[in-house]
Amino acid sequence: MSGKTLHILLLMLGAFTMARLSAARNVATPNEELPAGAMQQKATTACLECHEARIIVQQRLSKPAWTKEVDKMVKWGAVVDANDRDALIDYLSTNFNAEQPAYSAPRTATESKPVKGTPQKTAR
Amino acid sequence: MGAAALIGWPAWAQINEQRNSIEVPGEDGMIVRSLRFLDLETPVDYFDSWLTPVSHFFVRNHMHEPVELNAGDWRLTVGGEVDKTETFSLRELAQLPVHSVVNTLECAGNGRGLYRPQVPGIQWQKGAVSTARFSGPRLADVLHRAGVKSNGKHVMFRGLDEVPGKVPPFIRSIPIEKALDSDTIIATHMNGEPLTKHHGFPARSLVPGWIGAASVKWLTEIKVLEAEFVGNFMSPGYRFPNQPVKPGDSVKPEDTHVLTGLSVKSVISGPLEGSGLKSGRVTVHGAAWAGEADIVKVEISTDGGSTWNAAALRREQSRFAWRLWNYAWTAKRGDYVIQSRATDSQGRVQPSDAGWNPSGYLYNAIDEVKIHVG
Repeated sequence: MSGKTLHILLLMLGAFTMARLSAARNVATPNEELPAGAMQQKATTACLECHEARIIVQQRLSKPAWTKEVDKMVKWGAVVDANDRDALIDYLSTNFNAEQPAYSAPRTATESKPVKGTPQKTAR
Repeated sequence: MGAAALIGWPAWAQINEQRNSIEVPGEDGMIVRSLRFLDLETPVDYFDSWLTPVSHFFVRNHMHEPVELNAGDWRLTVGGEVDKTETFSLRELAQLPVHSVVNTLECAGNGRGLYRPQVPGIQWQKGAVSTARFSGPRLADVLHRAGVKSNGKHVMFRGLDEVPGKVPPFIRSIPIEKALDSDTIIATHMNGEPLTKHHGFPARSLVPGWIGAASVKWLTEIKVLEAEFVGNFMSPGYRFPNQPVKPGDSVKPEDTHVLTGLSVKSVISGPLEGSGLKSGRVTVHGAAWAGEADIVKVEISTDGGSTWNAAALRREQSRFAWRLWNYAWTAKRGDYVIQSRATDSQGRVQPSDAGWNPSGYLYNAIDEVKIHVG
């Protein structure tokens, strides 16, 4: 194998590894969290009281669409300080817009044994 | 075993850290759109049996499931524009004649994630649809017991969903004609077993052929009304533009109508997107449904839509149920886009483009998968 061929192979391997790493970053983890940022904690408090982060991280919306969503959720009880509204919309539309790769949803385990009947009690 | 319950999570959803998986009892290999509240999508390769096992049946919750539900204490009240308000226990419901309906239930938002530009909501791909045999008393029998007054024109269903914050309660209504249809039932059973909690235990309305939201889970109240119920899940929720909309445009509420029956649609359940196959005989297969209409034809194209060939419809059928189909194809080497297109008894044909709408409802574009034959 010539040095040039080896060099090309190494470059290809590097590109392949980078692609794999990049793909890996897009793979959802079972326990989804909101991304780092100045608004991470406030968004967590305001949004995740009622639903999990996965409902947010799967969206790919424009800023006007996020604005509508945030205002709707505030109407529905999300506690967002009026001074934080614009920053929250910026945070969501920066992280979850149409330019981001599609969200890859995980699956439930396949070994779960089907439960007959109904659990009598669940907690949130 | 390394499984840990998470704070603020449903007690039944567990993360298995060692296996990096989510364990939800009773749910088998389902796509997790959300755990809290629970929204699980059926993978298309599960569309291989006419009746979907409960463990593979998609789950759509708008809110949290009722925390406490006891079959003995549960009651269903029937009131509003009736001669006499009636209350039924589960035991009393079970004494009414039982009717079974095989119904393909599809979330109105199935395929929302395929619209461009994307719209807010659960980003369902192809699998917010499943088929089961639902059984229980006819809604008409329950309504007749209370006696519907002549001014009763709509029938409202209220579920026991736990409402977070100031979210409007999940209440929907259907016109009296559909409510009195002999196939509209209060389902207590699914595939011969009592409903599981995720599917509305102990009873749900089952409005066959209509969008899934009409079939309200954890049913607790039925109310006969003079007019359509006014609430978030009737308007602006679950409405469709009267006229085609330019993708991305907004639509005024007065230019929309309430969603009822499902569209005509087919989905390819195999081969799967991105498959690599050997040349030779390949069976393309899938499911097709059309709400209150019958599927009359499913056609397959393997050349990008230039030519279409009829698939064979499988034997099992029922008025509101999907038809499974297959198509025997002799595949030569190459890259292909396989497409499926359904036609129904009302003459509706699955379109090449679904009509974009601001809430992403009723996606039914011709289905396609890209495969490689080597």
